[in-house]
Amino acid sequence: MTRAPFLVPALLRFPGSAARQDSWGRLLKLTAGGADVSTPAALAKGDKVIVQFDLGGERLSLAASVHYAYDDADGQRGAELRWTDMKERRALARALVDVLSRV
Amino acid sequence: MAAIGVLAKEAADRELLGLMLGELGHRAEGSGRLEEALEFARARATKAFLLVDGNGADAESLTRELLRQYPLMPVVVALKVRDASRAVALMRVGAAEVVAPPWTPEDLKASVSKGLRFQGTAITAASAAPLSRSPLWYLLTVALFLAAGLGMASLKRVERARAVAAARVDRWELPVRHPAGLAFDGKSLWLVDWFTQSFYSLSMVDPNVQIVRHLTAETPVAAAFTTEAMWTVSADGTVIRRMRDDKMSPLTTYLRAAPSSAGVAFDGLYLWSLDARAKVLRKHLVDRELSVIATYPWRGVKAAGLVYDGRSLWSLDAAEKRLLRHALERPADVIESVPLPEYAEGAYMAVGAAWDGSRFWTVGEALDGRGPARLVRHAPEAR
Repeated sequence: MTRAPFLVPALLRFPGSAARQDSWGRLLKLTAGGADVSTPAALAKGDKVIVQFDLGGERLSLAASVHYAYDDADGQRGAELRWTDMKERRALARALVDVLSRV
Repeated sequence: MAAIGVLAKEAADRELLGLMLGELGHRAEGSGRLEEALEFARARATKAFLLVDGNGADAESLTRELLRQYPLMPVVVALKVRDASRAVALMRVGAAEVVAPPWTPEDLKASVSKGLRFQGTAITAASAAPLSRSPLWYLLTVALFLAAGLGMASLKRVERARAVAAARVDRWELPVRHPAGLAFDGKSLWLVDWFTQSFYSLSMVDPNVQIVRHLTAETPVAAAFTTEAMWTVSADGTVIRRMRDDKMSPLTTYLRAAPSSAGVAFDGLYLWSLDARAKVLRKHLVDRELSVIATYPWRGVKAAGLVYDGRSLWSLDAAEKRLLRHALERPADVIESVPLPEYAEGAYMAVGAAWDGSRFWTVGEALDGRGPARLVRHAPEAR
């Protein structure tokens, strides 16, 4: 597991049916299968969310579902996300391999 | 308590944020301009900056400038207007956290404390799911693992019990209908069929017949094997000692030496015969006449077979469905009785028995006279 010198910022968008405002967060952990995110948004298990962030000079947008959510020690919301779109997952995996190959 | 520089163009914002930081236990150093904030940072050793974005203040450029001079200093930006894209843009230029309006002590506390513990994203290309799980997940996983283990153990135990049960008693329907006796030659079982006047060598694991020997000149009803010869008894009581060759060549014939024979057994020295009609055990000396040197009363109901297991004689009582053990010294006494529950259902009657060195085998004839004969391997404890 490699640690970046910064926390990757991410824009969190919700499907239209959710009628929720866009929010933001930080990716605490990023893998080809999912991510851990810290956010002020009140995420709950089962929520659908679209996560947009930059990685390796590429702007990625991945659909995810909240697998597990909790209040962290600082009072923000922590959530474990699982990517739901295989095509987007493959694009992310390529970007991750590219980024990690430069370490 | 940490000294935190507050950079806000409006004094009201500086005052509000300063009060909130004070409530959280921090010391706020308010300033309206960047130069002032940098001066505070130099003089008061601030641990972090809190900037206000909006109303003419561009937090993006301010963040960039602050980080240029203090690259390790966490910068938290408080938005005057909620805008997620703006928040992400600010974080991209280096803001550690962004606080959305309306500002509350709780939001501020979360953002500042998080900003003070600034860390990088952990990145891996593996597709493994993130590791954070609820305690319930771990509990269920352990429970599932234990349940699977117990289930497997239970299945194995049931399978083992089934195998043991299968090994204890096996039954095979044979392709013959008129069995009269059973004998073991040291390697395989031989069934005597009076109707076809044949000897059948049987498989001991399935109902297959391996060898068939026809004795067309006589009607065999019983047989016994020794290491060098075999003994057969015909329906008229004639005993024949034979070679153990492919033709079962006769060596010596003893006319009517064992009348009404239910079975014969050889104990290594004497030949024993069981007379079903007279209900007596006869002890024969192996001489020219197969002389009877002793006769003992047999105390069963319907004699059907005789076996020597290396230590004792065993007779088969078909009516009582049991094996009777006789000591060689006092054959008239029954020293043990072993029931044969395999015949309890009453569809078959035992007509012959054999001992293979570790277990008894019996062969039964269908009582309706039409069904196939049944071979039964008895449990080891049936001795």
